[in-house]
Amino acid sequence: MKTSLPLKILNVIGLIIMVAIFAMPFIWMISTSLKTLGETMVFPPKWIPDELIWENFISAWNSGPFLQYFMNSVLVSVGILIFQFITVIPAAYAFARYEFRFKNVLFSLVMVTMMIPAQLIFLPVFLNLSDWGLLDTLWGLILPFATSAFGIFMLRQTFKQVPEELLEAARLDNSTDFKIMMKIMVPMAKPTLITLGLFNFITHWNDYFWPLVMTTTESARTLPVGIAQLRQVDGGVAWNILMAGNVILVIPILIIFFFAQRHIIRAFTYTGVK
Amino acid sequence: MRSAKWRPYFFVAPAIIVFLVFFIQPIFYMIYLSFHDWNFISPDKTFVGLGNFKDLLSDPMFLEVIRNTLMYTFFTVLFSISLALLMSIWLNKQGWMYSFVQGAVFSPHIISLVSIAMLWMWIMDADYGLLNWVLSLVGLEKVPWLTDPNTALSSLIIIAVWKNIGYFTLIIIAGLQSIPKHLYEAAALDRTPPWRRFAKITFPMLSPSLFFLTIIGILDSIKVFETISIITKGGPLNSTNTLVYYIYENGFIFFKIGYASAAGVILLVILSILTLLYFKVLSKRVHYQ
Amino acid sequence: MAKIQLKNVSKAYGNNKKVIEDMNLDIQDGSFTVLVGPSGCGKSTTLRIIAGLEDVSAGEIWIGDQLVNDVAPGKRGISMVFQNYALYPTMSVRGNIEFGLENMKIPKAERKKMVEEIAEIVDLTEYLDKKPQNLSGGQRQRVALARAMVKKPDVFIFDEPLSNLDAKLRGQMRTELIQLHKRLGTTFIYVTHDQVEAMSMGDEIVILDKGHIMQQAAPMEVYHNPANQFVANFIGTPSMNILSKSMVEEKTGTITDERISYVGFRPEHAAMQVEKLAASGINLSCEIITMETLGSETLYLVNSDAGQFQVKSFQAPLVETKKVDITIPMDKLYYFDTQGNRVFVEDIPFQTPAREVRGEVLV
Ligand SMILES: Nc1ncnc2c1ncn2[C@@H]1O[C@H](COP(=O)(O)OP(=O)(O)O)[C@@H](O)[C@H]1O
Ligand SMILES: [Mg+2]
Repeated sequence: MKTSLPLKILNVIGLIIMVAIFAMPFIWMISTSLKTLGETMVFPPKWIPDELIWENFISAWNSGPFLQYFMNSVLVSVGILIFQFITVIPAAYAFARYEFRFKNVLFSLVMVTMMIPAQLIFLPVFLNLSDWGLLDTLWGLILPFATSAFGIFMLRQTFKQVPEELLEAARLDNSTDFKIMMKIMVPMAKPTLITLGLFNFITHWNDYFWPLVMTTTESARTLPVGIAQLRQVDGGVAWNILMAGNVILVIPILIIFFFAQRHIIRAFTYTGVK
Repeated sequence: MRSAKWRPYFFVAPAIIVFLVFFIQPIFYMIYLSFHDWNFISPDKTFVGLGNFKDLLSDPMFLEVIRNTLMYTFFTVLFSISLALLMSIWLNKQGWMYSFVQGAVFSPHIISLVSIAMLWMWIMDADYGLLNWVLSLVGLEKVPWLTDPNTALSSLIIIAVWKNIGYFTLIIIAGLQSIPKHLYEAAALDRTPPWRRFAKITFPMLSPSLFFLTIIGILDSIKVFETISIITKGGPLNSTNTLVYYIYENGFIFFKIGYASAAGVILLVILSILTLLYFKVLSKRVHYQ
Repeated sequence: MAKIQLKNVSKAYGNNKKVIEDMNLDIQDGSFTVLVGPSGCGKSTTLRIIAGLEDVSAGEIWIGDQLVNDVAPGKRGISMVFQNYALYPTMSVRGNIEFGLENMKIPKAERKKMVEEIAEIVDLTEYLDKKPQNLSGGQRQRVALARAMVKKPDVFIFDEPLSNLDAKLRGQMRTELIQLHKRLGTTFIYVTHDQVEAMSMGDEIVILDKGHIMQQAAPMEVYHNPANQFVANFIGTPSMNILSKSMVEEKTGTITDERISYVGFRPEHAAMQVEKLAASGINLSCEIITMETLGSETLYLVNSDAGQFQVKSFQAPLVETKKVDITIPMDKLYYFDTQGNRVFVEDIPFQTPAREVRGEVLV
């Protein structure tokens, strides 16, 4: 089918508007982060600041213990990632490849947990953590997510697709089950593991709710909580500083997205497409 | 071969323990707390039976919270899905241009809600915000988006839709691409008009994806917290207070642990119903195939 | 090297019907034994029981003079070549061959030497660092062989290893496997559903049906002396013609041996036209229904008053002819009882001599 030229142009204009609706806010964010405070308070707003005020980033960074927030964020995201691989891989392997009593009961438990959001159980978990002295610690942010029901579910699907013959060949090669899992199954599930890893890392890097609720002091706070608190600085809102802080939070994710767009989209749309 | 018998249990144990300790036990603990009165500091928890639930249901503020939550959820899901449906039909094409647009549209989904909340707070700033500037370009009055009880909830819905829509669009596109081409070829031979083709082929074939999105959308919206906590704190005049924020407020600010737990139990009931519905329809679908 | 014995072995999957029932099987040390039978008859199950990949429901498995029921698959001294090769896709060819050696805790330097030796033998040296996906079907097959050989097992097991190859390559691999067996002198157990493959490769053939052994013998023995109707049918292309007793009696007179219910003969033993005056035989006048020319031989489907059957002839095809006379020599007849078991007879079990029959034909 041939489309006429005016229609084509109309289509492209439509696409540009669409991109603008979703990308402009980020450009606006960056633009604001480089303005003086005065420049944020003009109407109609300015898109390009007269002078690029890079100091805004330094001010944002210095307005709180941001190095600590940043380190906490890294430790929590990476810690969760490591713990999840340790717990998810064997569980998924067992559910995919063994027959055992209570397997169905235990797997139902996994499925039920998949449907329990953090927002439902934060209050009792908070009380537990406070009893166990884990409030305000990184453990309190890591341990509840030390495994992932979704991860087990997804990896189990992948493991189930590995042909039985391959495992039999390995058994005849006198391989232990653990070695079968690590040397044959895990390498074959690499795309799934990358997907899961990206999904988890981004989710927990971005998470605001859990660290907000489970910390009461700066010691275990993560970047999103720190950034959210920039707002309370000096009464009025300094939008330029605030946006600078958010640029710091968003840029790493946007960079990862730029390089691994395919993987990330796959990671986030997996459940719906399956 | 003795150890082989225990191996699967050994393999699933770490995950199962985490689930039991951090997800399953808390549910029961919360139910237990909901029957008690407790302020977190005092050593005693007083048993009050259904007292907390009675208080909740007779509290006009709580009823408003439920109403806000339902409104927020309903409109967020409705707009997200219908707009995503339109966009997916438009964007379901090959080529770098479309994959770029798809990526751009999806990008809000992977950004921290903290940044999204603050960014939109700034965009919706009544005096210097971008949105009012856009309105002024087409000659409209400034709107006090987030500061007026009449518009605050709608503003939060706009933000949620903006965030969701890219994700929804990509899911629907995946659904569209899984429709067998021969169905359309048959329709083309019959000279079926486009809208009929949509109604008779596309829409029914998409219904599993749309159903999935509806449930995911509801589950996601019903637990909204971040934007409210950062932007409105439930205000102005309680107009944006929703269930999870209400639980948080009562538990962490007013220390009404039992009362907050009771609200949590209500959320649990809602989520359970939705989950059961989801699995029921899902298993039926599998059955029919 | 080792001989293998199954003693009263039964196998059922879950609570289903038994797939193998009370099987007794002896496989001689150093033999090339082929298990053959229709798909689903339990060949793979038998193999997998021997390899230890499947537990038995009852019975004993002996390898050499060791009872191996509770010995792990990797410790039975068995190597297996799978139908789909089952190469580890994430490992290089070297990794595939080395994996078993690694698990046997063989030192690295020695491993390297062994892998390179084997690679030399199967002609894979230049592919050692490639991934299996980048190899052709034949090359993958050779990797699978190398992986099996490098462990120097007592027994090789093959489960339809050639069924994924095209006809030409299959022929070539057959020869290579036969040569390999000669060179190694190890016990080979080979599963196939293709009787031609079985006949051409094995020095011992085990024919299975529905989990039972129908016959175990050398290839020529199985062909010339089938133990029952199933084997007679299964071995030989086209399969043996079976006529019912009553139809044959119309032509020959009463069959004296009570046990006999069916009479069979091979399509290649029926003679057409020229030999119509053969001394003793059943003579039938037939009508050709269809004809297939296969070059050196011709296959006819013919109709007679004794029923339809096939004839294989090495003469020039009879293009024009419709009506033919066919003689089946008496000494090429096989007799079976109601159960389909072979009935062995001393003499020709007909009341009336063949003379009379000839008379009828001559009229
Ligand atoms: N894992 C299994 N579970 C249940 N039944 C099986 C299983 N494997 C094989 N069978 C059944 O056992 C019978 C024999 O199978 P198999 O040994 O694979 O046959 P063959 O290799 O001769 O084709 C078949 O009827 C098959 O359906
Ligand atoms: Mg088989």
